[in-house]
Amino acid sequence: MKLSTYNFLTSKAIKGVKVGYPLKLTIAKKDVVETEFNPTFIERLLPKLDWNTVYLAAQTVDLADDIPQEQPAAVADNEELLQRLHHLLLEIDVLEGQLECPETGRVFPITDGIPNMLLNEDEV
Amino acid sequence: MDTPHIDHLTSQDYDHVYEPAEDSFLLLDALEADLEFIENELKPVVCLEIGPGSGIIITAIAKRLQNTICMACDINPYACRVTKRTCLRNETHVECVRGSLTDAFKPNAIDLLIFNPPYVVTADNELETSDKFGECTSGNLVHSWAGGKHGRRIIDILLPQLDHILSAKGVFYLLLLRENKPDEIMEQLRQLGFQSKKFMERRIPGEFLYILKVQRLDS
Repeated sequence: MKLSTYNFLTSKAIKGVKVGYPLKLTIAKKDVVETEFNPTFIERLLPKLDWNTVYLAAQTVDLADDIPQEQPAAVADNEELLQRLHHLLLEIDVLEGQLECPETGRVFPITDGIPNMLLNEDEV
Repeated sequence: MDTPHIDHLTSQDYDHVYEPAEDSFLLLDALEADLEFIENELKPVVCLEIGPGSGIIITAIAKRLQNTICMACDINPYACRVTKRTCLRNETHVECVRGSLTDAFKPNAIDLLIFNPPYVVTADNELETSDKFGECTSGNLVHSWAGGKHGRRIIDILLPQLDHILSAKGVFYLLLLRENKPDEIMEQLRQLGFQSKKFMERRIPGEFLYILKVQRLDS
């Protein structure tokens, strides 16, 4: 699971959960997969992302020094930041770990890079 | 768009995931026929396929659309793993998530949504009885085709959620069977705020298939 995907996942489908976002990410094993850097794509991706959760992801992989806590007004001219975001969001691949619902503590395991977000019938 | 290699998949795999068939190829053909629109107008940042099965469709998309985050979500854990393998075999990457429909995803994020649903008309209790008695359907495979009354059991759950799934410009390609009553579905979509058209149709032995292309009315 790439950290860009982490930004899209929620536990809102659990009965009684109001927001279910962001999930608490714990990483047991990760990989870094080099991918081609496309600054324009990162720029187009950013409006889709929740910046607070981008920053959370950075903290989880000890890259919080690379990423500002508040979203900068403009990133287009900041090639260095775009490169860092590319690495954080598209190159780090979580293989083993877990996601946790912020409201209920329900744990979603990540196995072989696949988060299991499936809920039991009595949870929805 | 290249048809992905699937020579790594075995008959054991097809005991657990749907083997690509005419319906899969119709969906691939429709996406290929609409590439001009997808690549030059839609320019999707995020693509999601629900129920990728073998992964053939999302792999073809991922291979072609280099600047798109491609994700696949399947209720069947075997399908999630097979989809990853299909990506590897074809040297591309798809993010696989196990889950039910789009429940695990934050709202209004998907620019390109693809679904080849379980569309076969079955008794509504097919899923329960087959799990108990059916040897060949005793695993996950029955979920890939058993559609309940009019084959609409899952389709009818998804459609009312569409407004919360698609981004403002989002587009949805849905495979349907004539027995699913596509005209009725198109009318239902209109009431939900979506325009749709039969983008492609094909007669195959025993079935008549359609690809609906669905967009917001105001898009």
